[in-house]
Amino acid sequence: MKHSFIDKYSDLDSLIHRLDPRTKFIASLVFIISVVLTPTSNWRAFALHLCLVTSLLIIAKLPPFYVLKRSLVIFPFVLLVAVFIPFLKPGEIAGSYNIWLWQVSVTYAGLLILANVAVKAWLCIFSLILLSATTKLVDLLKGLKQLGIPKVIILILSFMYRYIFVLVDEAMRMRQARDSRSFGGGRLRQLKTLGNMIGTLFIRSYERGESIYAAMLCRGFGDEIRSLRQLGFKRIDASFGVAFGLVIISSAIIFW
Amino acid sequence: MHIPDGFISAPVAAVGCVVAGGSVAYAVKATKKKMGEKQIPLMGVLAAFIFAAQMLNFPIAGGTSGHFVGAALAAILLGPWRGILIMTCVLVVQCLIFQDGGLFALGVNILNMGIIASFVAYYIYRGSALFGEGRKRKLIGGGLAAWFSVVIASVACAFELAISGTVPLKIALPVMAGIHALIGIGEGLITAAVLNLIMATRADLLELQKA
Repeated sequence: MKHSFIDKYSDLDSLIHRLDPRTKFIASLVFIISVVLTPTSNWRAFALHLCLVTSLLIIAKLPPFYVLKRSLVIFPFVLLVAVFIPFLKPGEIAGSYNIWLWQVSVTYAGLLILANVAVKAWLCIFSLILLSATTKLVDLLKGLKQLGIPKVIILILSFMYRYIFVLVDEAMRMRQARDSRSFGGGRLRQLKTLGNMIGTLFIRSYERGESIYAAMLCRGFGDEIRSLRQLGFKRIDASFGVAFGLVIISSAIIFW
Repeated sequence: MHIPDGFISAPVAAVGCVVAGGSVAYAVKATKKKMGEKQIPLMGVLAAFIFAAQMLNFPIAGGTSGHFVGAALAAILLGPWRGILIMTCVLVVQCLIFQDGGLFALGVNILNMGIIASFVAYYIYRGSALFGEGRKRKLIGGGLAAWFSVVIASVACAFELAISGTVPLKIALPVMAGIHALIGIGEGLITAAVLNLIMATRADLLELQKA
């Protein structure tokens, strides 16, 4: 498996990449909460949010196509809401269609909810993509630890991050082995094969976990992973934080 | 079922974060008491296992494919608290790396796919012990537990979306539950197949949740 499968583009260099992970995490969270709290009809505030996040994406030199492709993960949910629109509470009717015997009318209230949800979701996912594509997961975890997330969770997550590559490789090898031997078969049989693969993977993972623990004991593992790189707030973090905060606050005050 | 940001209102998301935070903190304490230091590598590797298992797709009708969720399997094999801890790590990584599920909505996602799914699966599996102890019972119990964990998590998801005012409950509920009742069949069959394999090869691993 290619290593860039996870945190792709996080090794580029830009102003955003150089910020402290804590700054970026808090900024993303503030941005998302601010978007979620913005009232439905407040289009100017959403426009300001969009300007902010797109300019940051441009500064971070992320390929636009990659960002758009990644943002499509919200699509199933947008579709789900779109399906419900015709059934929403009655209001002023924006249009009505006849689908076979069914008269479906779409109300403005319903369309507003759809637009609102879609815009909010897209803004939030852009900021999440910005965060994850400009920060190495290892640094982000270190930052989260300093922000007060319990050490145990951070350690488990760091172990998980290290072994994702090993186990995904193992899973892909098993899949290749299955695909080169199996000629299809019924659906039930396929599920059974998959179950056997997952079961084998579980047993191997469990045994691997035990031998990792034994290896850690041999080497005198304390309760911390030490690394040379230290995080530090720099002047750039302070100026970014102030500028970012001002934009968010002004979007709340001016357009409320 | 990973809810993105923007689909649930701020109060619902905030309540989700508080509930998830509290439960995860308790889960950390509970597993630490049982496993000590060993908790860290083992939970980490098993979270990576669930993550890897989720990448193995299987075909559903009409060219679409589904994947295994794993919350039920983790809870059945390791107990509900360890299951919650593992699923939380999986969801955090999915959110931070793949943007699968929102950041502010993370609490709600942990609540649905971690806490609710783990407890439902664990207690249905344990409850099925009342009907006998045989191998068949364990397989059926495990399959049902997995089916219910998926369906009830989706019901919770529908309620959260409805409370947020995004979709009306009387339609969201049957649609979400209906879709996931179908998805859950795959989950149930796979979980039963996994249990079947583990019973045949490493039956001792089925007793982990008591350790």
